[in-house]
Amino acid sequence: MDGNYVAMVVTLVVWIGLFGYLMRLDGRVKKLEEKSR
Amino acid sequence: MWWKILLFLAMSAMIVASFATPAPQEQIGESSRIFYYHIPQAWICVLAFTMSMIYSIRYLRSRRIEFDDRAAETARLGFIFCLLATITGAIFAKIAWGSFWNWDPRETSVFILLLIYGSYFALRGAVADSERRAALSAVYSIFAFVTVPFLVFVLPRIVPSLHPVDSVVDVDLKFTMGPTVRVIFFSSLALYTVLYLWMLNLSIRIGRLVRSREEVES
Repeated sequence: MDGNYVAMVVTLVVWIGLFGYLMRLDGRVKKLEEKSR
Repeated sequence: MWWKILLFLAMSAMIVASFATPAPQEQIGESSRIFYYHIPQAWICVLAFTMSMIYSIRYLRSRRIEFDDRAAETARLGFIFCLLATITGAIFAKIAWGSFWNWDPRETSVFILLLIYGSYFALRGAVADSERRAALSAVYSIFAFVTVPFLVFVLPRIVPSLHPVDSVVDVDLKFTMGPTVRVIFFSSLALYTVLYLWMLNLSIRIGRLVRSREEVES
């Protein structure tokens, strides 16, 4: 398999993981902010 | 919400474009693709440390503890991006020069920068009183930032180095990149900046929640 293709897939997986984590964190923080108001 | 979806799509497109288009520097080869990630990471490192210095000055002028929290959060992000730039740089060094670490002036200056900001966190951890910690770390952060332009921009250019210096502009400040490379590179810079601002916003909000909880408990 082409090395570039593998590197691209790995980078995309890392980015999707990071984005998902940040979205989840953002949602949790929003909930806690609403609770503390 | 819309900007998060836009960020996700644009970053994904940038990643695909960075691997699907020809390598940005033909003479270096495929490993030069790391340039689309390594330089934006280094840029965020400098931006975050600059923001830390600005928030530290604002803290010293107003004595509002939230500025100290912001200075610490952005310094933390700067440290993380500095580490990422070091790791991507080491990967490039292994491919281009045969070894992960060569004590090249650029590598050495980044190592010193990591030590300086590592000490900032050690200082913060060593002082229990929050006002004293804020004042001390604000002064330290301002002095630490003085070293950033010297270590990132000056030192690697005055000492002979293996590190490419004309990746973005040449000595006449003209772009050395082709139009496609330029679009991908500047998109990457902009997207990394948006990502950094999002992460900073999140960490500031978390810090605020932690502080308000501590105030309720005490």
